[in-house]
Amino acid sequence: MAKTEEKTVPPVTLVDPIELSELDRDFREEIHSMPNGEELGACFACSTCTAACPIANSWDYKPHQLVRMILLGMRKEVLASDEIWLCLTCFECQERCPQNVRVTDILFDCKNLAAEEGRIPPNVAELGKELVEQGQLYVITADWEREDLGLEPSLPGLQTEEVRNMLKKSRTGRMLGEDD
Amino acid sequence: MPEYNLYAGCSVPANYPNYEASMLRVADSFDMELKYMEGVACCGSPNLRAIDYEGWLKVNARTLAIADKNGNDIVTPCNGCFGSLKDVYYHLRHNEDYVEMVNAELASEGLEFTGDAKPRHFVEALYTDIGIDRIKENITNPLDGVGIAIHYGCHLLRPKDVTEFRPEILKDLVAVTGAEVIEYPLWKQCCGATVLPVDEPLAIRLARDKLKSMKDAGAQFATVVCPACGNQLDLQQLDLKNTYGEEYNIPILHYPQILGLAMGLSEDEIGLYLNRVPAEPILEHVSK
Repeated sequence: MAKTEEKTVPPVTLVDPIELSELDRDFREEIHSMPNGEELGACFACSTCTAACPIANSWDYKPHQLVRMILLGMRKEVLASDEIWLCLTCFECQERCPQNVRVTDILFDCKNLAAEEGRIPPNVAELGKELVEQGQLYVITADWEREDLGLEPSLPGLQTEEVRNMLKKSRTGRMLGEDD
Repeated sequence: MPEYNLYAGCSVPANYPNYEASMLRVADSFDMELKYMEGVACCGSPNLRAIDYEGWLKVNARTLAIADKNGNDIVTPCNGCFGSLKDVYYHLRHNEDYVEMVNAELASEGLEFTGDAKPRHFVEALYTDIGIDRIKENITNPLDGVGIAIHYGCHLLRPKDVTEFRPEILKDLVAVTGAEVIEYPLWKQCCGATVLPVDEPLAIRLARDKLKSMKDAGAQFATVVCPACGNQLDLQQLDLKNTYGEEYNIPILHYPQILGLAMGLSEDEIGLYLNRVPAEPILEHVSK
């Protein structure tokens, strides 16, 4: 009968199956050992973080899924995801986590690992470049506005050299090919 | 006369000199001596933390160490700077290895992070060190109960164990001016500023959510204590006209501008003419 024939259709799955051989078991330990990763293993995927996230509805991977993916060792998928860069860093997820998992901080750690592999959205890389080149993100251009308000035309005490040197020697400089 | 290390950051001096000027004038009235920090630059914002944790740790540890030289607390008008400095302060206080690492780097400049000087937001220092009672005594031109919504900004409030900021602080500071604090459902939500370089339409949507929630609750004005949040809520109102065909007309004032008016400062002294959404309507609510 027609009804039994339908059973040959593959069952509907909610998520694509994971290829076990592609998992990176060290990823979990890598994040766990970072300064904010201590409570990582306490996550039981209750989704409170996702409920708290103002933009989770536009994410393919929800915050609780990203944490689960880290625990499973899905290094490639997590570090290549747009979500880690879309994170608002509003700390709502982290604040509400009943298990004290530092979700936002962990996403910062993921961004650092992605950056180390050269994966940085162009506009964010541009900001890094500005920091290395000028030691600040915003430079005063309208000094007359400041003077009209009785302020010094340039920022008193500003010294960018040391910050630029520090960043040149650091990952920011290395990534941008600005290191000596 | 309490003395502070003023860390102005880069966005306030470059984009919001009206915030800077009104803060300095208000502080001056209370004998808070805000001295610009010598030899400092940018905090790097959360964007630096995202790509370079160590670099972010070092540049902010350097700022903290410069303040440690005289031990006076750091005061900043920017949530981004506050968040970075507070977060780095927290991380250093919880990790000896990091202290060793940054101090090895800072030694060449004769600097050392000791943790004596604490990073604080300007409004918190105002509230704690001056106090509502003394502020009240200085209110000469109170506002007439006009509805003002507060946008706190994420990095002022969270993570709570790091920032140690209580929302009541800003609520009390607004109420003491005579204004009515408008409660609105999305008061804790992000303005979307951080995601602006990555996804502009998303950032605009978040600004819209925020402004709509304020407007629906009856707010006539809104106040911010962060240049990035200010930029998002003020400037994006122009983009919202284009993308959503919606007009909110909610003037966004930096908190010291509101307090300044209630303390009798003129509109020029607080640089009201630099606000993007015309903020002059607030003048109608200041009693003379």
